[in-house]
Amino acid sequence: MVMNNPDIATNPLDGALAGYRVLDLSDEKGMLCARLLGEMGAEVIKVEPRMGDNARKRGPFYRDQQNSEHSLFWWAMNAGKYSITCELNSNDGKALLHRLVEQSDVLIETNVPGGLREKGLDYRTLSRINPSIIVASITNFGKTGPYRKLPADDIVASALGGHMYLNGDPKHGPVRTTVQQAWAQVNAQAAVGISIALYARGLNGGLGQQVDVSMQEAMSNAMDNAQQTWDILKINNYGPGIGRMREGQIGARYIYETSDGWVACLGYGGLVGVTADSIVDWFDESGEASVLNSPTWRKRLSMMDAFTEAEQNILEEIVAGFCRKRRKDDLVAEAQKRGAGWAPVYDPREIVESVQLNERDYWIRVYHDDLGESFFYPGPPFRLSETPWRQRGRAPFIGEHNDSVYLDLLGLSSEELRKLHRRMII
Amino acid sequence: MSQEPLRKPFSGLRVIDLAWVGVGPTASKYLADHGAEVIRVESATRPETLRRVGPFANGQDINNSGYYANFNSSKYGVSINLKHPKGPQILKRLIAVSDVVTESFTPGTMEKLGLSYKELQKVCPDLVMISMPLYGQTGPWSNYAGYGHVLQAAAGFNHLTGWPDEEPIGTGIAYTDFLVPHFAAFALIAALDYRRRTGKGQYIDFSQFEAAIHALGPTILDWTVNGHNQKRMGNRDSESAPHGCYQCKDGEFVVISCFTEEEWVKFRAAIGRPDWSDLERMRRKWSRLGEQDEIDRHLSYWCEERTSKQVFSIMKRFEVPCGIVKSPEEMQKDPQMRHRGHYWKLEHPTMGIRTYDGPAFRLSKTPGELTKASPLIGEDNERIFTQVLGFDEEEYNELLIDGVLE
Repeated sequence: MVMNNPDIATNPLDGALAGYRVLDLSDEKGMLCARLLGEMGAEVIKVEPRMGDNARKRGPFYRDQQNSEHSLFWWAMNAGKYSITCELNSNDGKALLHRLVEQSDVLIETNVPGGLREKGLDYRTLSRINPSIIVASITNFGKTGPYRKLPADDIVASALGGHMYLNGDPKHGPVRTTVQQAWAQVNAQAAVGISIALYARGLNGGLGQQVDVSMQEAMSNAMDNAQQTWDILKINNYGPGIGRMREGQIGARYIYETSDGWVACLGYGGLVGVTADSIVDWFDESGEASVLNSPTWRKRLSMMDAFTEAEQNILEEIVAGFCRKRRKDDLVAEAQKRGAGWAPVYDPREIVESVQLNERDYWIRVYHDDLGESFFYPGPPFRLSETPWRQRGRAPFIGEHNDSVYLDLLGLSSEELRKLHRRMII
Repeated sequence: MSQEPLRKPFSGLRVIDLAWVGVGPTASKYLADHGAEVIRVESATRPETLRRVGPFANGQDINNSGYYANFNSSKYGVSINLKHPKGPQILKRLIAVSDVVTESFTPGTMEKLGLSYKELQKVCPDLVMISMPLYGQTGPWSNYAGYGHVLQAAAGFNHLTGWPDEEPIGTGIAYTDFLVPHFAAFALIAALDYRRRTGKGQYIDFSQFEAAIHALGPTILDWTVNGHNQKRMGNRDSESAPHGCYQCKDGEFVVISCFTEEEWVKFRAAIGRPDWSDLERMRRKWSRLGEQDEIDRHLSYWCEERTSKQVFSIMKRFEVPCGIVKSPEEMQKDPQMRHRGHYWKLEHPTMGIRTYDGPAFRLSKTPGELTKASPLIGEDNERIFTQVLGFDEEEYNELLIDGVLE
């Protein structure tokens, strides 16, 4: 298969990655990645054990009903995929998967390194079956190295990936963001690796390869400039709470309380640097600029020099007093008008109600036929003009597409399918 | 076994990188580290923000920022003053011989320069272009200014980070700058693959805000489906117990977590099966989840009596998920990170040998390679303008004298 030259499709492809088939054998480290490939147009088949994937046990649950079809975690990570069941520990199950590999482009797995080979699902075996297959192994620490077999979940990767050292405050120590970010990071970065491998395949005569992704490394890429700060200055940045960390020092706070929540504003709310005058004017218009409305202070603010602790306290007190009496959206709108990059601190509800997102028709209504209800899901993470991102329906039930995949795609007979069923392979 | 050397994934692609700060440069870094010729177009008349932010190596200078350097490995640098009347024309000629444009200006800026996608398509019909401002090309916030530090607030990360009854502290970093570039890069590469297969280019309207929300999927659904508005819960987890971060005798912190009953059994063995862990209310997860105060109290004592290395090694032996909270310094020494060769050392003309982050993935046959340190402003002017654009010496000198290349 030589794919050097563009083959002009007769029909416009539904998505930039249309025409590719992805086998998703992954846990929490790869499900979002596979979903993103699907929303770009690839056909994604989730391969589950007969009793359903373990991620179906993760909450929260629809109306708190804990059952395998009601996990919102499952819904969010697997929307739009097909699901088949296949017991990969059995030889027959493996043989079935191998037949699927013949007709697929990408396989995503997240097993602890070493375990894969035993299952006959290692890259060497799979690439013999299909030299074009791209096998993405998304693991805690990568496929090689001293930690490769260590168990890890989101918080462990956050810690060993260095990100958590920068998160938190001096009073309590490090903190993990409550929604799992090591998983989000490794999923998103794996999608990049896989898409590069797909592109490379087209360039190199259809040759597939292995993509070895480490969750620890993915998290270490979320250390801002801390790594360079250590490298150059030999200073360790750490969790600064509501202040901003700069070269080992906790600087100005960037979060202030408002009458209805919180607002984020860099520095002293834009009181420093190019926007200083316009912010002082704003405070002054309602008589709240206090000492700042003086030539000395205005000049001082327009310079970027570090402040003394006393100056810092004055600035923070004035900004805090101003914000406390006002609503966050009003503050942000006015600050932005005056050129300062403020943003509201939003909770999930406020994100869903955001004017900006609603003006852009962001939210997608997804129908759940089994429940007879529709729910809003996050919309396009990117908007491609020629091949738009598309949400592709609710997450599948366990083995919902066994018939269409095994009968139509693999060409098994109904009798063969019944046998596999009886022998508890599917 | 000898075989023809494989081509680097993006070899032969030229990328014009007009983006600023973290998001755009990180997205195009993936292309540069995998073989594309990525050219950063900048101007000394208005150096990009990160060139002015430290840490600086060998003195504060726009060419010495380690912050900037890390996002711009394997790239080349040219300078064009877009305020000069000839600037946009020169840039357009460069784009005409390129494949990809990345930018993160305030929406409308490219149009004002006469460089909208529509205009650029006239000179480069199969161009792939991505615009990556904070909030997208349309909508009431499209002109809003800001950085990752405040976008993380709008996108929910402040609300969801910190201790329940205290301020929404956020992640301590400009978090979305380190999250959304991966989404942008994925979209860009998928569009390139589509171009490879169909010959068609396209335009990508990328909103950092819209991408970031995908890192909160189940939490968003908990609101839209259940009307449950989740909030930050320190180091707790609604489904794991124990799940926390504990200070050890040496002052370092460790994290320990048990999601499954199997992990709890191993954990109990690891800490010597103390009586409290055998109480009726500790035996089942659903019940244990309500006892996290008590579990944390016991576990804090247990960790205080041991060094972080001891805790890590005990938990490792019993296969309990556990990790030391690693500082930037320790990350560089971490045996696994070293084994993986995550950090690259590259020599920069003015900064010397510095540390760069590599990608979190290895492609077995066409691995990423950080080929050079970040560019100086305009470092590659002569080569790009004379060799790529074919200006002769006289024309090139004229551009220099006119200040087009400042």
